Amino acid sequence: MATNPMHQFNVYKIGPEIKINGVDLSFTNSSLFMLLSAVFIFLFLLFGTRQKKIIPGKIQLISEMLYDFITKMINDTAGKKAKPYFPFIFSLFIFVLFCNMIGMLPYSFTVTSHIIVTLAFAMFIFIGVTILGFVIHGFKYLKIFVPSGVPIVLLPIIMIIEIISYLSRPVSLSVRLFANMMAGHTMLKVFGGFVISLGLIAGWLPLTFSVALTGLEILVAFLQAYVFAILTCIYLNDALNLHH
Amino acid sequence: MTEKEDLETRLKIAKSKLDNKNTKENKKEGIFLGNAFKLGTELVAAVAVGVIIGFILDNWFGTKPLLIILFFLLGSAAGIFNVIKAAKKMQQK
Repeated sequence: MATNPMHQFNVYKIGPEIKINGVDLSFTNSSLFMLLSAVFIFLFLLFGTRQKKIIPGKIQLISEMLYDFITKMINDTAGKKAKPYFPFIFSLFIFVLFCNMIGMLPYSFTVTSHIIVTLAFAMFIFIGVTILGFVIHGFKYLKIFVPSGVPIVLLPIIMIIEIISYLSRPVSLSVRLFANMMAGHTMLKVFGGFVISLGLIAGWLPLTFSVALTGLEILVAFLQAYVFAILTCIYLNDALNLHH
Repeated sequence: MTEKEDLETRLKIAKSKLDNKNTKENKKEGIFLGNAFKLGTELVAAVAVGVIIGFILDNWFGTKPLLIILFFLLGSAAGIFNVIKAAKKMQQK
């Protein structure tokens, strides 16, 4: 096994190289793990909803709790108007969650530890929400750059600041998820390397750290998926209910 | 009949217990931790976006160091703005 802690983030091709119009569309380990998490989600929800008992079994209970959790989150942050967007937010949350959690298994690959993946999610959300805002409110949507109760002298500066803060949304959304996942996995690998190099005498100390860090990483994996989903709800709320 | 009623009352009690628990403990801790993770990147991202805009505009107009400095400052302001907004939202809850 490689001792380089960054080795785990390597993307390599599986199978033949596929090129269409000069665009590399080869199947990589990243796509394999995305596919795997999609399959896991499908199986999990299929088993969870196959038998609809009054007193639910374990899998049914978990999937019902997930449904409840997301419904509550959307209601609390974006209100009733956001109900039609439930499928999108639910699939976003559960996909990020499963990618993070599958990344916690040994020898696996964490899809969300690459900024291009998270940035693609974030740009999709950002562009989608912006289009949604313009479709619902028309040009009134530009009002979110003009906060009420600001003196006219300060207005140009405030507007530029507001525009920068609006443009920073996809960056903060994607960097947060990517940085948390990459930092956590690198740290786990570094501590794992310490265990080997310190050997039987002093290796126990980093081993205990490693165990604790694994627990922390599972928490972070869940929390980052949650934060990703809740921020999507907040941006959606800004686009649906225009008040500043 | 009695069995069904028994089950219903037990369900009601269990539900009310669950509701209390949800509102009191689990929910708040999760939200606070999530918010704590949020604030740091909120600040940095705005500064980064400001610098990138400044850099692009500088290349456009050929005013090399001027606009990047200006937009760095504006980006920092936007970052602090973001954090204040997020903190205000936290206090509402």
